[in-house]
Amino acid sequence: MIQKISAPVSVQLVYDHHLHMVSPRQILWDGKVIRIAKVGMHHTIREGRTLFHIFSVVSNDLFFRLKLDTDTLFWTLEEIADGLAN
Amino acid sequence: MASPINLGFNRAPSTVMYLDLNSCFASIEQQANPFLRHKPVAVATYDTPNGCILAASIEAKRLGIKVGLRVKEGRLLCPDLIVRSPDSDKYRAVHLAFKQLLSDYTPKVVPKSIDEFALDFSGTPAFQRGLFIVGQEIKDRIKAGIGDYLTVSIGLGPNRFLAKTASNLHKPDGLDEINENNYQAVYQKLSLMDLTGINRQNTIRLNTVGIYTVTDFLNADIPLLRSAFHSILGYYWFLRLRGWEIDDVDYGTKSFGHSYALPKSLSTPEELAPILGKLVEKVGFRMRHANYQTKGVYLGVLFNDYQYFHEGKSLDQSIFDSRDIYRAAFRLLSHSSYHLPVRNLAVSCFNLSPRSTLQLDLFNDVQRQENLVTALDDINDRLGNFVITPANMANTQEYVHDRIGFGQIHGLV
Repeated sequence: MIQKISAPVSVQLVYDHHLHMVSPRQILWDGKVIRIAKVGMHHTIREGRTLFHIFSVVSNDLFFRLKLDTDTLFWTLEEIADGLAN
Repeated sequence: MASPINLGFNRAPSTVMYLDLNSCFASIEQQANPFLRHKPVAVATYDTPNGCILAASIEAKRLGIKVGLRVKEGRLLCPDLIVRSPDSDKYRAVHLAFKQLLSDYTPKVVPKSIDEFALDFSGTPAFQRGLFIVGQEIKDRIKAGIGDYLTVSIGLGPNRFLAKTASNLHKPDGLDEINENNYQAVYQKLSLMDLTGINRQNTIRLNTVGIYTVTDFLNADIPLLRSAFHSILGYYWFLRLRGWEIDDVDYGTKSFGHSYALPKSLSTPEELAPILGKLVEKVGFRMRHANYQTKGVYLGVLFNDYQYFHEGKSLDQSIFDSRDIYRAAFRLLSHSSYHLPVRNLAVSCFNLSPRSTLQLDLFNDVQRQENLVTALDDINDRLGNFVITPANMANTQEYVHDRIGFGQIHGLV
């Protein structure tokens, strides 16, 4: 089941200069702290000339699609899903 | 030099590599969302029952779910089928990551579609290392750097056709070569329809001249093949099957087009006008972005009863403004005598020419028109497509989504 959300969300992002890696570690959403277990994919898109980073991540039981606006540095939670048929 | 009639198999080493990302769209969705992995997943135009399946995961394919089925048909085969809508940006990002990785090995990387690449290793240092080693290294680097769930099938051969055929021998995750030592054995295991470019109609053509197997096809001489295809294609197949390169051709851009399957029934030209306007805007924007203008506009309309109306019109002079393209397309739409609900609407521009020279008009200020169109394109480019649109496109936000076409792709850098 997929749920489109498009809501502001708090994200803790970590940059590791040894590994040259940037990854979200946890999100604060709906009053809960959710730990990111795995980053499935990271890609970028442009809307006009604004660059957005999209992180497809999973916690222990849910999938989250997170969007970072590089103009404002604000995060948006775009989608939540589990692995079940819709 | 050997006469083409007596031409044998190309003895040159395999320098062409063909790389095919297995179950592309579905695998990328499984890569992005690990909960979808090892499950039957389909990417469809829409997740509604009549949506057309564009890609099926390896697990879904094993259950008989194929490209082209409706979502409801897929669910009959697998009630637990997970259906996702396409995310074109995600697929383009993976395509570009693949292209960048492959460019480390050879400068001759040709994208054949969103999920296929042809690589020519002739004269490269990578070739000296052996293409099986390079192929395995590419697979490993894809898993380490692009996605651990992504698998590719790699084929090697002396020409693109054999490399592509080799890439189809073992799916998923294959690495095979067709060369002068094994081509006959490989051909014996294939049917005519297994060959890329031989569809049902071509099979019938070959059957009519007594060719029923790939070995028959290989052994056929040029006059027999010419009688089957009634064209130069027979000669091309003669070369292709013997490992000689015939497909290393860039045909360039011949047209720009866009089509849309309507989610609800609309019948009259007035009802269809906003969607036609948005199709034209997309086509016009892409055409101008590639610096072309057009002297031909084509419209195709598929009705609910599967009747098809299509008409193209060659114009007296080149046009580049979407408003002019729209006028020509709307005129074509008005020519249709059917007024049934429309299922699919398609617009394309053909007879392209570079937009380097501007033909001035006695009655219209073409230079001013070009300045206006360029300014509008700049704004739409800066702020996102369709920030400024014609009034007739109002309320069309939910129509005409971003899609990736089958076949060769242009415009991705």
